Amino acid sequence: MGKKRIMFSPVTRLSGLLSVEVVVDRGVVSIANAGGTMYRGIEHIMKDRHITDAIYMTQRVCGICSLAHGAVASYLLDELYDHELSENAQYLRNIMFAADILQNHIRHFYFFSIPDYVKMPNQPPFEGQNLIDVRLSPQDNARLLEHYFRSVVASQECHQLLTVFGGKAPNQHSFVHGGVAVAPTADKVNQALSLIASVHTFVKECLIPDTELIARVYKDYFKIGQTPRRLLSFGMFRFGTKNQLSHWQGGMLTGNKISALDIQLITEDITNAWYLPVDGQVLPAPYKPGAYTYIKSFQYAGQPIEMGPLARMLINGFYRGGTSTMDRIKARSLETLLITELVMEWLGKLVPGPPPIRQKQKLVQEQAVAATDVMRGSLLHSVRLKDEKVEEYKIITPSNWNFSPKDKNGQLGPVEYALTGTIIPNPKLLNTILGRIIRSFDPCINCGTHVLNAKGEVTDKIIF
Amino acid sequence: MQKEDYIKRCQELTVGSGFQLSNYVLSEVRGYRKSKSRKLPVIWIETSDSGDNNIAFMNTTYPYLGQVFTDLIDLLYSNTFMSAQGQDAINILEQAAVKLRGKFTLVVEGAVPLKDNGLYTIIARTEDHKLTALEAVTWLGPLAEYVVALGTCASFGGISAARPNITGSVGVRKVLNREVINVSGCPINPDWFVGTLAHLLLYGRPELDNLGRPTLFYGFTVHRHCQRRSYFDQGQFAKELGDIECMFSQGCVGPKTGADCPYRQWINHVNWPVKANTPCIGCTNEDFPDGSSPFFTPLPEKLPEKNE
Repeated sequence: MGKKRIMFSPVTRLSGLLSVEVVVDRGVVSIANAGGTMYRGIEHIMKDRHITDAIYMTQRVCGICSLAHGAVASYLLDELYDHELSENAQYLRNIMFAADILQNHIRHFYFFSIPDYVKMPNQPPFEGQNLIDVRLSPQDNARLLEHYFRSVVASQECHQLLTVFGGKAPNQHSFVHGGVAVAPTADKVNQALSLIASVHTFVKECLIPDTELIARVYKDYFKIGQTPRRLLSFGMFRFGTKNQLSHWQGGMLTGNKISALDIQLITEDITNAWYLPVDGQVLPAPYKPGAYTYIKSFQYAGQPIEMGPLARMLINGFYRGGTSTMDRIKARSLETLLITELVMEWLGKLVPGPPPIRQKQKLVQEQAVAATDVMRGSLLHSVRLKDEKVEEYKIITPSNWNFSPKDKNGQLGPVEYALTGTIIPNPKLLNTILGRIIRSFDPCINCGTHVLNAKGEVTDKIIF
Repeated sequence: MQKEDYIKRCQELTVGSGFQLSNYVLSEVRGYRKSKSRKLPVIWIETSDSGDNNIAFMNTTYPYLGQVFTDLIDLLYSNTFMSAQGQDAINILEQAAVKLRGKFTLVVEGAVPLKDNGLYTIIARTEDHKLTALEAVTWLGPLAEYVVALGTCASFGGISAARPNITGSVGVRKVLNREVINVSGCPINPDWFVGTLAHLLLYGRPELDNLGRPTLFYGFTVHRHCQRRSYFDQGQFAKELGDIECMFSQGCVGPKTGADCPYRQWINHVNWPVKANTPCIGCTNEDFPDGSSPFFTPLPEKLPEKNE
């Protein structure tokens, strides 16, 4: 068999553009280079804009998680203007955010993942499926196919719930700095309750049992695509008048030990990415030899870190398990169920009243950092201002972490680590096996390709 | 075909030996069924984008997405949905472009970077080749029956081309030497896109405005049909976000934005930005986002373009 270099591209059924080049040596993946192949430079675009434009602008980083960016930008602005969030604003914001997460998770499981494990109909867009390792019985297969089409409605209902309060989806309008511009009136709350009841039923009756079935029939994937047990979460669902509390706790999980976070320990590395330092700036360099991705590499305390639903479920004690492909899938499905229950609870906490929004006009500080967990892991926005105009805006997304290319010390990011060492028993199964591992991370490459110093020194350390 | 021709042909073939008659009947029936169960063949490529139009598309109601797949379009290539991956996916793309030359609808979601040979957006890679968005669009565009630019980035550059636009991104129409149907929006309302696909299938090319957008959806300004028009006309303006009055004071660009949001609303038609007590930010416009910035500053005071 010997050594073979194979380009797995495009990796379909994800958000954005991803190519993975592997070297397979005597049936084992010896090298994996995961590359995000799109670059827009949103931080460059943010420079010199009015800071209040950040919410709607950064939502355009990504369509499948747009509210996540709007939320973090809102928290950032809340700190800059010293806003106080009413209880109604806190609950409503989290309900809207939760609705966007649910949409993401349901679509990830069915649209993106299911065709890896279930035989799809041989018609567009499912034609040409590799069927070598499809294992379900005909009845189970038929049932999961039916659920695929039911998930269309369930995920749409999540975005309808968001839109009832947010105005549109993706790229909602009312969750902004200072609160939410829409009042939780009885009719809206009632519609939302109806929608979440339907989504909850779907998750309980379809998503959870389907996950259990896949986990049983494909249980070898509890040993495939494993990562080192180093996971991080900034906590999820902000509460408190100053967004200072997290409903789900954050932390750094190493082995079985959880420790507190310190954002000063975050570093970035462009060794294998298409960037070069030019006159004190970091600029995209698509011809840089040896580079293979527009995703920068990130480390925490000098090491690559994984994040996502698995991190959150482990750190908060909701899930006991490992860090394999199937663990990530199970954790995400569990999180989906828990979030539907939270939405139902929070809808019950809303009280009638005016739109829960109060915006101040005067800045109290000229820089801030906001970081919290979103769909795929921890999202961070930071900004330096001058007279309400952006001097420098930084975004670090979960996909930056999970899809980190090798750093200057050759350390592998989570996805590359998960792929390396994978046994490929049959060359025709290569893309199938790699695809399953990759998708368990819920890739979003539109998000993965940011972070640029608009001006200032090139340093290894991020200045907050 | 006409009934008389059919009967004549059947009578002719009854005389011969073998299975000439049944073969003839079968092939006519197959041909008839194929022409009647027509769907719009679609090749969908994602370029420099956020993917929000894809998500908006998934939110379509009546038809819901499942029905769009079974009844409206044959989605032959889609980075988001297709079961095939890697080289299998590339093979499907190449075969569809050849087999359905002149018959497929090319949907491009996202802008096209021009700088550095378009290397800022690579759709797919092989061992020795990087297929950039620029190359893919210039290859497939001339082969398509219709080209639909999906979203404001594909139509006009949008966020991908916002200043300072260091990737040199442009809308699809700047890259192709043919008509492009611009279904703009950030994202699109699912009805605008699914409705345009339906129009192509049922009636062919829709009527387009001077920006190449279907007048069916973009023909009137947001301002014209806004439910808060009476507030505007009587000079009753919102003091802040969350108020019930006209959002012009809060930065609304409805007066210069072509879209039917006040009527159509979003996601099963339940809400839209102004109804949500926030301003319209003109996401269907040619100059979005720079022409709407700063979003919360009233229209007459918004900043002039810095780079033009």
